Amino acid sequence: MLTLQPYLTLAAIVFAIGVMGIIINRKNIIILLMCTELLLLAVNFNFIAFSYFNQDIAGQIFVFFILTVAAAEAAIGLAILVVLYRNKNSIDVQELQTLRE
Amino acid sequence: MSFIEIIFYVFASILLLTSLGVILFKNPVYSAISLILSFITSAALWLLLQAEFLAIVLILVYVGAVMVLFLFVVMMLNIDDVVRTSKFNKMAPFALFIGLIIVAELITLIWIRSDQFSVVTVSTGFLDSSVSNTTALGTALFTDYLYSFEIAGFILLLAIVVSISLTMRRRKGLKRQIVSEQVNIDPTKRMKLVDLKNERN
Repeated sequence: MLTLQPYLTLAAIVFAIGVMGIIINRKNIIILLMCTELLLLAVNFNFIAFSYFNQDIAGQIFVFFILTVAAAEAAIGLAILVVLYRNKNSIDVQELQTLRE
Repeated sequence: MSFIEIIFYVFASILLLTSLGVILFKNPVYSAISLILSFITSAALWLLLQAEFLAIVLILVYVGAVMVLFLFVVMMLNIDDVVRTSKFNKMAPFALFIGLIIVAELITLIWIRSDQFSVVTVSTGFLDSSVSNTTALGTALFTDYLYSFEIAGFILLLAIVVSISLTMRRRKGLKRQIVSEQVNIDPTKRMKLVDLKNERN
């Protein structure tokens, strides 16, 4: 019978992959947004695993709200991305340094 | 090894491979498709945890809406002119280091004294097996969490308003109607009545 630990380990590895993706990626903002989705997926995994093994529905409620916020975040992030591409004609992370100069 | 464990490990390895694919593919379209596969795989894993409603919602909302939006944007922007650098840039060893440390720390935390904090697995289904998962979720959502639910609705409304107002573009020199001027027009200024003499007398 499966216990809680394999699920948490799986979520931890997915979370680490998401963090690594954010650090590695230096040329495409879309990949950064996708890595954010991976991080949220790992968090949702933890919530659902604890919800099942504690037999408490509150974990699933939280996942519901996280899904809502993540959908809103993806929509706004992609809208910002489209505006950015329209203004600068590039989505390269390393070219977006106007705040630094 | 039971059947459920075999399913879990198969789906877990698919999930890990596809999420590695998200960060390692050069082409963003491949990354997006890989992320779609990882969402579907984790929906299957959520079914193992008896979260049926959320598994379906993950597929419908994420794969059906969010990832299609991602693919839309990827294909709308011309990604060919994005400079293709080498896949393993100079940050890759650092990223690997950070990732290994995160995994090591979390796994240590999870597995240390796992005999003490292992939760009792109840085999009788969720909370009350007579109530379906959707019913239980809806009952909790519309009683205890009603206020949060309305806030979530407002967040979605905010997302709609923000994304429309960000991407709406007003071009200059566009000919359009000005409705208020059309409505407030004075007919005496528009039309001039001229008396024409009848020439046939």
